Amino acid sequence: MWHERTRKLLAVGLALALAASMFGLVGCNGTEDGGEEDGGEAGATETIKIGVHTSLTGGLADYGFAAAEALKIAAEDFSGFEVDGTTYEIELVIKDDKGEPAEAPIVAQQLVDEGVIGVIGCLTSGNTNASLPIYQSAGIPVISGSATAPDLTEAGFENFFRTCLRDDLQGAAIGEWAVELGSKKAVVMDDRGDYAVALGNEVQAALEAAGVDVLRQEGQEGDVDFSAQVNNIKNFGPDAVIFTGYHREAGLLFKQLKEAGVDAQFMGGDGIKSDEIAAEAGGAENVEGALCTFGGFAQENMPGYAEFAAKFREATGKEAGPYSENNYDALGALVDAIKIAGGTDGAALIDALHEVEYDGVQGTLTFDDKGDVSVPGGGGTDLIPRFEFTEGTWQFIG
Amino acid sequence: MAGTFRRVADVFGRIPRWVYIVAALVLAIVFPMLEQAGLMQTLWLRLGTRTLVYVLLAVGLNLVLGETGLLHLGYVAFFAVGAYSTAILSSPRLGIHWNFWVIIVIATVLAMLFGFVIGMPTLRLRGDYLAIVTLAFGEITRMTFNNWESVTNGPGGIPGIFPPNLFGWVVDKPAEFFYLLLASVVLVVWLLNNLKKSRVGRAWNALREDEIASHHSGVRPTQVKMLAVVLSSGIAGLAGAIFAYYQQFINPTYFLFMQSTIVVCMVVLGGMGSIPGAIVGAVVLDATPEIIRQAFTQWLPDALGSDFLPGVQTALQTDFDRYRMLIFGLVIVLMVIFRPEGLLPDQLWRREVHDEDPRDQEHTRQHLFDFEEGEKDLEV
Repeated sequence: MWHERTRKLLAVGLALALAASMFGLVGCNGTEDGGEEDGGEAGATETIKIGVHTSLTGGLADYGFAAAEALKIAAEDFSGFEVDGTTYEIELVIKDDKGEPAEAPIVAQQLVDEGVIGVIGCLTSGNTNASLPIYQSAGIPVISGSATAPDLTEAGFENFFRTCLRDDLQGAAIGEWAVELGSKKAVVMDDRGDYAVALGNEVQAALEAAGVDVLRQEGQEGDVDFSAQVNNIKNFGPDAVIFTGYHREAGLLFKQLKEAGVDAQFMGGDGIKSDEIAAEAGGAENVEGALCTFGGFAQENMPGYAEFAAKFREATGKEAGPYSENNYDALGALVDAIKIAGGTDGAALIDALHEVEYDGVQGTLTFDDKGDVSVPGGGGTDLIPRFEFTEGTWQFIG
Repeated sequence: MAGTFRRVADVFGRIPRWVYIVAALVLAIVFPMLEQAGLMQTLWLRLGTRTLVYVLLAVGLNLVLGETGLLHLGYVAFFAVGAYSTAILSSPRLGIHWNFWVIIVIATVLAMLFGFVIGMPTLRLRGDYLAIVTLAFGEITRMTFNNWESVTNGPGGIPGIFPPNLFGWVVDKPAEFFYLLLASVVLVVWLLNNLKKSRVGRAWNALREDEIASHHSGVRPTQVKMLAVVLSSGIAGLAGAIFAYYQQFINPTYFLFMQSTIVVCMVVLGGMGSIPGAIVGAVVLDATPEIIRQAFTQWLPDALGSDFLPGVQTALQTDFDRYRMLIFGLVIVLMVIFRPEGLLPDQLWRREVHDEDPRDQEHTRQHLFDFEEGEKDLEV
């Protein structure tokens, strides 16, 4: 009996020794390769791969579609730029993470394996959080056109940049607007999703700082019956109800509030800025006069928007979707960084992005030390555009 | 057909068990080296690491579902407890950065404690009732993490989890995590295999087969079941802790009910009560869909031209998750028809499912006959 055990131990030991020796060998070999790029040759053409990490399926597929289409237009516009005599052609590698944080690291790894020099994405803040460690260790710059959670640029990832405005700015702007309208008592409600909760917290903080009495309520994404919350809101008697989630729940909530006879100003963030809200609220009259903000610059204030929107319409036959211009500018900023860095080395690109002064659709963009976007002479809540729902659609009012 | 299968199975059955164990270990040890040597994309290593997390979970759930026969549908809750303990104690979230070993112990023990607290009321229930209560518990746990914003940051999740430091070895590459997980799997499997062969293991199986009979033979059901639940919760906690370190970010959407279901499928597919079965079940169910996806979206189009079954390509690219569930369902249905005892069944469980012992069949026939006779008597 015992000799069988000895044999087993011997076998396991040998296997481990074999494995360990191989590990040592390949460990040495592994570090030798690399450096296959030979940019800088006069007249040479180089194709660079740029990753697009977005969500083409799942709950936010329309945002992902807008991002991918805007980037295709941008790739066409910027392809063929020249740095030190080398002409660069852009090849986009578009990958879908379905809007799920569990899938995001897999997608990130695929893009790193593909050898992309930079990544535009991710679409949502949660997925960005889940993927950044992988891009960070690969030393690849990441520019998001739509990840708005404040903590992303506070976590110390030096490779992360964004061309959209942060939630705390939008939250402060909603709060400021409610105060301007003379609110003394306001309800802030979210849908327990990551985006709505973060924005709701910012709105609540802004309102409380201005001395407004706040009642916080919550629903669940996918809820259809808000009678418990409506009852609480009715008893509280607010002059403003601010819903920070998405339009489907917002429409139902506004309808049920109207039916319960709550007479308050309905407000929301960019999640409710969809014309579908009229149908979801059972008729435009239930949303008439509602107000919302947007997490990007006002279309009317963007110097290149009209031109970009026309291109988008021509390419896709649809109106430019939310955050599409931010994605376009993200690629533009990356191209600018390649020009400054004189190559596609990751570390050099990350340094160069801090120096970028890029004339894009949204205006002249620069990135601060943390990677947040800013425009000259701006940075306050006045950047946040305001909309009012009248005649069945969201109208820009300033 | 069945005869051929049995003959082939016999040939493989004659190879001693340790050969399989050594082969599997060598395969697992060599796997990350393929990536190091540049023969394999890092993606596959990342998927392999995820598979190992599922292996740990499947082996842990097998203890409750397979050995003891308790239908537990909230297993992901303990996984979440382990993951969140790690995330809270080793991230900038609350500014705590404790040692890896301390956290691993805390995560495991906390998950065990949770298992104990949940086990106290629920182990009095059997079958469907236990399933419903554990299912609810799994959802409650996730909701708690989703709403306990001051500590867990709610739906926003906890980013920036610090990499573990094992006596100066900082684990932060996929290959290193793969080996860390492999070591955990080996440790857990060794422990459970010894337990399975002990008095406790026999008591678990006895409870699964017939609770009342085993109770009368001197097995104390509640204590013995509790031991299984607590141990398996600990394993899930351990898996969760390493998973959190590996992902460096967690939020409540990682711990949906679907995860529990997937792990149940793995145990059932592999063979209830069989440790090698649970491992194979996890590997098959986690790896197969990914291989199918890669095959149809990358390898086959590369080999046969990009217009190879474009419909399948787009379907897999856009709706992969739903197709994965379809594959799961199909695999389970086929298995229940052709091999109800699972891929690598435990001997005891195989006999339970198949009833191949002629004496058993005789006994059943006799029993039915008696029953029919009784009916006739009643009619008269």
